[in-house]
Parts: sequence; structure tokens; C-alpha cells
Amino acid sequence: MMDKVYIIGKDSIPERISLSDSQEFRACFVALAGADAGMSLEIDIDGRDCLVDIAGVCLCTGEQKASVNVTVRHNCPGSRSYQQFLSIASGESRAYFDGLVYVAPGAGGTKAEQQSRSLLLDSRAFVEARPQLEIYADDVECSHGCTSGYLDEDELFYLRSRGIPEQQAKKFQMIAFLSPVLGRLDEELKQTIYDSLP
Amino acid sequence: MNDILLEIKDLHARVEGKEILKGVNLTVRRGEVHSIMGPNGAGKSTLGAVLTGRPGYEVTEGSVTYQGQDLLALKPEERSWAGLFLSFQYPVEVPGVSITNFMKAAVNAHRKAAGKSELSAAEFLKLLKEKMAFVGMKGEFAKRELNVGFSGGEKKRNEIFQMAMLEPTLSILDETDSGLDVDALKIVAQGVNSLRNEDNSYLVITHYKRLLDYIVPDVVHVLKDGRIVRTGGRELVDIIEEKGYAGIE
Repeated sequence: MMDKVYIIGKDSIPERISLSDSQEFRACFVALAGADAGMSLEIDIDGRDCLVDIAGVCLCTGEQKASVNVTVRHNCPGSRSYQQFLSIASGESRAYFDGLVYVAPGAGGTKAEQQSRSLLLDSRAFVEARPQLEIYADDVECSHGCTSGYLDEDELFYLRSRGIPEQQAKKFQMIAFLSPVLGRLDEELKQTIYDSLP
Repeated sequence: MNDILLEIKDLHARVEGKEILKGVNLTVRRGEVHSIMGPNGAGKSTLGAVLTGRPGYEVTEGSVTYQGQDLLALKPEERSWAGLFLSFQYPVEVPGVSITNFMKAAVNAHRKAAGKSELSAAEFLKLLKEKMAFVGMKGEFAKRELNVGFSGGEKKRNEIFQMAMLEPTLSILDETDSGLDVDALKIVAQGVNSLRNEDNSYLVITHYKRLLDYIVPDVVHVLKDGRIVRTGGRELVDIIEEKGYAGIE
């Protein structure tokens, strides 16, 4: 479960966070469909044995724009950071993800993972993801992944073949896409996200 | 003579520009179990896909009439509401969607299409438990994510569970025996056999005799290179077993 959930555009989100020895920061950032949303967050890991575990869900519809900008700096050795950002864009909306993981010289033993996945519902929707790693230390485990795609036709057919109407079947597919993050949220927020699906 | 449920006439279909079905004719009456046998690549699964409206399969000629209506004009969900069911050879995994939520959506969509009100939570749960017991599924099954982490046998049993929930009129079993050990095969066959009655019909697609030892067909068809080359009774299964498909023209 996430310690803290921020609704982008509604809750005030810290712009900069600094962690000292053994501190943890776990949070989820949610952009609901409707209004333009943007966030920018810089996290400095200034101690050992710290954990950063952040996730995001971004739902964009119509002509909405959403941008997520995250920088995680490992300034000290021996800490971990995990990031997972999922976006769904429909209509003519635009979703941007800009993520940087920086590992400073001397920050050996760092583990960092950054994932960004996007689902496009319409051919005119647009996503741009720029995951970046800057590593200046040896002995680190860092990875990033970035994917974007459309709804899976076989999955959609399977659901429809059971009599589930197309629009509802697509919602199930969106839930499936978001499930790695949704599984870590409470029921009330999950429902809010379901209600906001394009 | 029983009512005709499904009538396929001179059906031609293409996948990715390649003609796979080259003039299939088939009539299924209520209460009958038909088996479609044939070698790999004969078009067996294509037939199941075309009948249920899978995208990417283009019908170029012929007609399919199901209970008097043009089946090919219906969307996949409308075919389901009309009583058609396909047990998938490779059921799809849908993480984050529980069996309960998936089945509730399916059952209620069927009820809506039939002009009935949605089931209450209690009514739905009762139905779910009854059908789970029918295929030997335990309580936690309903909470599991659809097909995620299911073994091959569990996936096929889940298909039969869905069939039991939706009570179709025409069920197409596409290679339901593939990847099953003999115990799982028996459970699946038992499920199908106890759902058989004089109103509903089955099209059992298979390579092998094995499944047909348990689900005994009334009519057997051999599909080769996109056409039904031979139709007979169950004795045809033994002839195929003896001579192979090469020996049947």
C-alpha cells in the first residue's frame, strides 16, 4: 500500500524532497481525466539505505494535457528507488512523462528502476515519454523501460465474446493495464479512478 | 426432425489475405454434437473464429444463418447474447479483473439484452457458487484475476465454467483438449456432458480421438484444406485413427 496519494491539480505536491539515512518515501500520483494537470518533483537521496517507491496513474481525455516530471538523484551510496508511471490517453489528449534518474559519482550499490508505460485509445492521442539514466558510479543496478501501445485486439475479442459490450470490455482492459499500480491503492481511490476512465 | 440451429453455406474466409475456408457447408440441429476433425492448418480454428466474429477474419463468400438470423451481421457480443459461445484454445489473461467482476458484467449484459433486470448481488453469488461447484472450483477461484497464473487445465476448466454460467445454445469447443492431462480432460468432458440437452448443440473442434472418447459426437466432419471432405457418424473417428487424415478424401 502507498503511504500517500496525491491527486495532481488538487493536492499540493512537494516540489523537492530530501531523504537522509534510512528514510523512505512512498507515494502515488494520480491525474484524473478532465482538467490539464502537471507536476514536477525532485527527490534527493542524501543518505544510505533510503527507499523511494513512487507510482503514477495519468488519465487524459479530450484535449487535455498532462505532464509528469520526476527527477531522482542518488547522491549517496546504498539506496534504492523504484518508479512506475502509467498513462492512458484518449481523444486528442497529450500525456508527457519526463523522468531522470541520476546516480552521483561515489553512489555505488544504488538500485534504481524506472518504468513508464502508455496506452493510447485513439489514433489522435499523443504520448511522449523520456526516461533517462545518468550514471556516474560503478557497481549499480539501474534499469528503465518505456512502452506505448494500443488495446490488445485478442483480449478485447475474448471479453466481447462473453457478451460484454465493447465500451465496458475496453474499461476492463484499462483496469488490466493499470493493475500494477491499482493493486496498491485503497478501494475508494480505485473506484474514483474507475469512474474517471475514458 | 429437430430444428435447424446453424446453417453454414459455401463459407469462404480469408486471414491476412490468404484464403483459409474454401466453401464450408454445415448444418447443425438442436441437441446435436458435431465434431470437426482435421489436420493442422485445415481451417478448424478459423471456422470457430469466423462464427464468433473474431477481428481479422474476412468472410468473402457464403452465408451463416443462426436461429434464422444472419449471424455474420452481428457483433461478437451480440452473437454471445444470441447464445453462441467459444471455448478458446488460448484463453486470454486479464490482470486486475476478477472472475466475479468479469462474470457479473457478462451475465448482466446477457440479461439486459434479453430484457431482464440485473441480478442482485445475492442472486449473482448464488449462481456463481452453483456453477463453480459444477466444475469443481473452490471459493477463492471467484476472486482470482481472470486466467492470470492459471495452469493449462485451470484455464480450460474456467472456459467450461463460463459456458455453464452463460448457458449457450451453441458452444464451439476449440481444441479444448490441447494441453490437458487425462484428469483435467475428464473434468472438462464431464462438465460438457452434463450441460448437454435436447435444446443446445456443440461443435467440438479437435485433432485427436481422445476428447471424443469422452464427449461422444452424433456427427463427425473431416475438414481438409478449407473444405469438409467427409461427414459421417462416430465410426468415422475410428477410421481416422486407423488411416490418418491422409487416407480420407
